Amino acid sequence: MLFQILILLFSLFAIVSIFFRRAKDGLGIRATVFWILFWLGVDLVVLVPNSTTVLANKLGIGRGVDLVVYVSILMIFFILFRLNVKIEGINRQITKIVRKNAIDDVKKK
Amino acid sequence: MIIAIIPAFNESDSIESVVHAVKNHVDEVVVVDDGSMDETVKKARAAGATVLLHNLNRGQGAALQTGHDYAQTRAADFVLHFDADGQFDAAEIVPALQALQNSKADVLFGSRFLNKKGDLPFTKRYIIFPISKVINFVFGTPNMSDVHNGFRILNKKALSAIYIGQDRMAHATEIPALVKTHKLGYIEYPVTVRYFEYGQNVKGGFHILKDLILGKFIA
Repeated sequence: MLFQILILLFSLFAIVSIFFRRAKDGLGIRATVFWILFWLGVDLVVLVPNSTTVLANKLGIGRGVDLVVYVSILMIFFILFRLNVKIEGINRQITKIVRKNAIDDVKKK
Repeated sequence: MIIAIIPAFNESDSIESVVHAVKNHVDEVVVVDDGSMDETVKKARAAGATVLLHNLNRGQGAALQTGHDYAQTRAADFVLHFDADGQFDAAEIVPALQALQNSKADVLFGSRFLNKKGDLPFTKRYIIFPISKVINFVFGTPNMSDVHNGFRILNKKALSAIYIGQDRMAHATEIPALVKTHKLGYIEYPVTVRYFEYGQNVKGGFHILKDLILGKFIA
């Protein structure tokens, strides 16, 4: 019971901070909607723990918890991949700056 | 006008002799120093090369593209890619350039295998080389007798068409793929390679594969 209250409080805090980020840092509408739905989903699972089991059974997975773990791992891998692509993109931007410096320096001479 | 581009990272032992050897065969030698911590820059300058400085290490592909950008500001007709470690023979530059001009192709790729010059370690020939061929096929490069050979000559047309986006070693797969994409003509030319260092090992191969995959997702 305590665990449920803690998570509900945390998700409330998370949703409020999403609105703050939207107002202050210009978080996109898609990201805003995604994260709000994500935390509402978490609330649903916390309040009605069996809800994941119903969905899991439809997908042929025995326990709801297993479904949550599978989906989480997939999401983490996807996010890691996106991060890698983003880092490579930033690397290429850095290279462009280094290259421009190199060419500009030699032109000055 | 032909400009030699020599990417160098901590090559102070060999850079001087390589620049001296190459400069007799080209109009200008450009050493792109990729953030070396030794005396590469000083020695390259002393040997008479134009030195472009990367103040951060960005990789061989990045250094080659920097050389390309510079060559375009100098309105070069040809650029030559040449390694800084002295594994190529500078005497092969002029005949290679002639072969390219006679062929009417746009790009010349050096090949270790056309006439079986040079000696290749056993594992390179029978393990790394076949794997590289498969990777190259998957990423759309033309089928050539050699993969990852650093000796290349590009004409003006190829120079302006090809932009090397792969900063590290994957450029060796990227360049032939771009040749195909831009419908440029290419020839292979036998070159001698002396092995001082092993070059790409299996771990390096995985890095190349990773770079190639990530590269597909970057606009």
